[in-house]
Amino acid sequence: MQQLMDGIFLGSIYALFAVGYTLVFGVLDRLNLAHAAVFSAGALVGIEVVTRSGLSIWLAVPIVMVVGALLGLIIERVAFRPLNGRHDAHFAGLISSIALGAIIIALLQARYGPDTTRFPPEVFPKKRFEFLGATVSLLQVLILIISVGLVVLLTWLVAKSKLGRGMRTIAENPHAASVLGINVNRVTSVTFAISSALGAAAGVLFTLNVNTAQLGIGHAVELKGLAVIIVGGLGSLPGALVGGVVLGLAEVYAVNYVGSSWRDMVAFGLLFLILVVRPQGLFGARKKREV
Amino acid sequence: MFEYTSLITLIALAAILAYSFYAVLLAGQLSLAQLGLASLAVFTSSLVVPDDPLFGFIPPLVVGIVFGMLVGMIAAFILGLPLMRLRGVFLAIATLAFAEMVRIFLINQSWTNGAQGLSYPKLVGPGIAWSALVIVAFGFWRLSGSRLGRAFDAIREDELAATSMGINVARHRMLSFVIAGAISGLYGVLLGYFTRFADPNEFSFTAAVDGLVTAVVGGVVFFIGPVLGGLFLTVLPELQRTFGVEASWIRPLISGVLLLVVILFIPGGLAGLIPRRKSASKLITDPTLMPSLPGLPKRGTPLVSLRGLSKSYGGVTAVRVVDLDLGAGEVLGLIGPNGAGKTTLVNMVTGLTFQSAGTGEVLGNALTGRTKAHALAQAGVARTFQQIKLFGRLSALENVLVGSYRISRGTLLRRLIFLPSARRDERQTVAMASAQLARVGLADKAATPAGDLSYGDQRRLEIARALAAHPTLLVLDEPAAGMNRVEAGRLAALIRSLGTDGIGILVIEHNVRMMLETCDRIIVLNFGEVIASGAPADIARDPAVLEAYLGSDATASDEAVTRLAVQDLTATARLAETSRPRPEEKQ
Repeated sequence: MQQLMDGIFLGSIYALFAVGYTLVFGVLDRLNLAHAAVFSAGALVGIEVVTRSGLSIWLAVPIVMVVGALLGLIIERVAFRPLNGRHDAHFAGLISSIALGAIIIALLQARYGPDTTRFPPEVFPKKRFEFLGATVSLLQVLILIISVGLVVLLTWLVAKSKLGRGMRTIAENPHAASVLGINVNRVTSVTFAISSALGAAAGVLFTLNVNTAQLGIGHAVELKGLAVIIVGGLGSLPGALVGGVVLGLAEVYAVNYVGSSWRDMVAFGLLFLILVVRPQGLFGARKKREV
Repeated sequence: MFEYTSLITLIALAAILAYSFYAVLLAGQLSLAQLGLASLAVFTSSLVVPDDPLFGFIPPLVVGIVFGMLVGMIAAFILGLPLMRLRGVFLAIATLAFAEMVRIFLINQSWTNGAQGLSYPKLVGPGIAWSALVIVAFGFWRLSGSRLGRAFDAIREDELAATSMGINVARHRMLSFVIAGAISGLYGVLLGYFTRFADPNEFSFTAAVDGLVTAVVGGVVFFIGPVLGGLFLTVLPELQRTFGVEASWIRPLISGVLLLVVILFIPGGLAGLIPRRKSASKLITDPTLMPSLPGLPKRGTPLVSLRGLSKSYGGVTAVRVVDLDLGAGEVLGLIGPNGAGKTTLVNMVTGLTFQSAGTGEVLGNALTGRTKAHALAQAGVARTFQQIKLFGRLSALENVLVGSYRISRGTLLRRLIFLPSARRDERQTVAMASAQLARVGLADKAATPAGDLSYGDQRRLEIARALAAHPTLLVLDEPAAGMNRVEAGRLAALIRSLGTDGIGILVIEHNVRMMLETCDRIIVLNFGEVIASGAPADIARDPAVLEAYLGSDATASDEAVTRLAVQDLTATARLAETSRPRPEEKQ
């Protein structure tokens, strides 16, 4: 039972990170590899806000999300928009986002140094409860609620709101979308901002959970995030949540049964298997090519 | 001094790694398996490489390199079997997962010494590293412009079009993957015997990203790209150190900014900055250089015979029980309103779609679920597409050269040793392509990228590309779309002359007037069914056809219009009958 709980909590953090990935992929059909840098930035900026100004974590998270959103706008403007209309936009977008991610990490290093930092211990109440025979912390419950809440909110947003309609139209055909009077650049920017705000928030929650942060944490989650969005189905928001939980559970059980040195084998083995058997993922739709 | 020899070696190694990415990018694939393959190669080679020369004369390093490359190739092949149907970002992530699995596997093995790593003797210096690089670069230099190189270009630009030129896309993608595996193995072994150490964690995602970045920064349009990329990305940090940039964060910052600048502002990568002569832009019009082509089947030989062919998608029947026969030298028109099932029918004939019911035979090949479009193309079927599928970035001539894939022989191996026969073959292919360009009237646009041509020119270029395959059966899907009256007239004349040559032609077109003037026989489809079939003059008078085209209300409500339309159609038909010599009469 404890393992089940731990797996779900771990998975919900993966999901929160992966939702940002999948949102951008779903709309733009491109992977934003600077997302991991945003995750690191969220963690480090969050720690600074809390330690320096003594703000409560409840205020720090929204501030971090604003910072993340700004980073998202920059990423879109610098690394992706200039590539519009280029035949190699797919490869080039990967590389330019890697480059911008490296720049963000270098700037973080300039400000925060390479050392490990953490939140002050009193920042979050260490309340624990017993639940169905397992011990869960308030933080874990909170992470779960936030992840599920955000996925539900985003799914609603994409399905129902005007912004979401714009996103889906652009995903279908950006050119047609602009003909229909949708401001493609603005919708894309907003998508990046939302995606990065979530990525930064995930950074804070992840750091709270493991109680340590350094420059490379985004990198560690990056590959997991890729696994999650593939398992769930590229571009599918509920898929990211389910994929995250599946991966979290798989890892927790793997550590228990095959040992921690093989833990990542489970994630990548799962990823590989899904891609071979069902490339569209659990919730993704397969695109057909036309003649 | 030591530092410089080591730097020079590292440049070569970075470039070799970049070539392993170049090899797949060339065929339009993105793989991140290379580092996994490299680490498999270097760790397994530690098991077999002897301390002393093998048989007394084969140096240990050669044993290691050959073994490592073989391991890389075999592993790539086995990995490719389940993964080659994936594309784009899916292939990238699956191969990345493989590389990570290899890393975790090797860390957990005792024979690799786990995360402590293995030591190797120092056997590789700048001389050996650069020799290896030169050999790899030479191979890619000879590849560009060979038949295989053109096939890779075609697959990268448009897989479907490449298939319809007779290129076995699956086999070629696998080939590029295996080549990448061999180069990865080479890289792994060289790296181990240069740094004297290998640790599975060195062959990580970060290292793979470095290799990819090197390849893309160098450029994937020109074989020298990976060398330039290796030079740029290896020397950059050194230069910064030389100029006294010490703060640890400034170096990655500058590298990041430069990388961003290169990728955003130099689209072809660094190699794109090198001015070079376009290899395939000059026509060869010397008729003595034309390749000797096998003759076409005798006029009237059955090429296509369809019996009761049907295709349904879910509940929708796109084609319903169609019978169709086409003989050599015959021009058969397929007309019908939008959505009548014409393109579906043609896709079945060319092997892109498999029928739901009925049987068909095309050039002696039965149409079954296992019929491959590229195999039919090899048998002599060439086609154009309703939505133009040209290789947009290749020049017009290069597009047509790909079309000659079917009738040319592989030249790469002969090019590697500069055999004159390879050059002769290539000149023959260019001569063949030039003749087709001239035939459709595009000789003066040979060097223009296909994507920059006007719409009508693109349609004609597609026909030239199809003709370069010396087809027995030519399928044209709306060739006159977007053409004006004069252009359509010229196209009609071209189609008739192709029929006279003995090619069997199946043409879909909405321009009814042109079809009546051009075809020997016309089949009219409506809602997937044949509603009329026969000589153009009969088709023009057929009430069912008129109804399909003008609507059932037309006859009742607006007789005058109908009569006008009928007059127009029949007048054209009469014109066609009188002005056009029948091929039979000409013989």
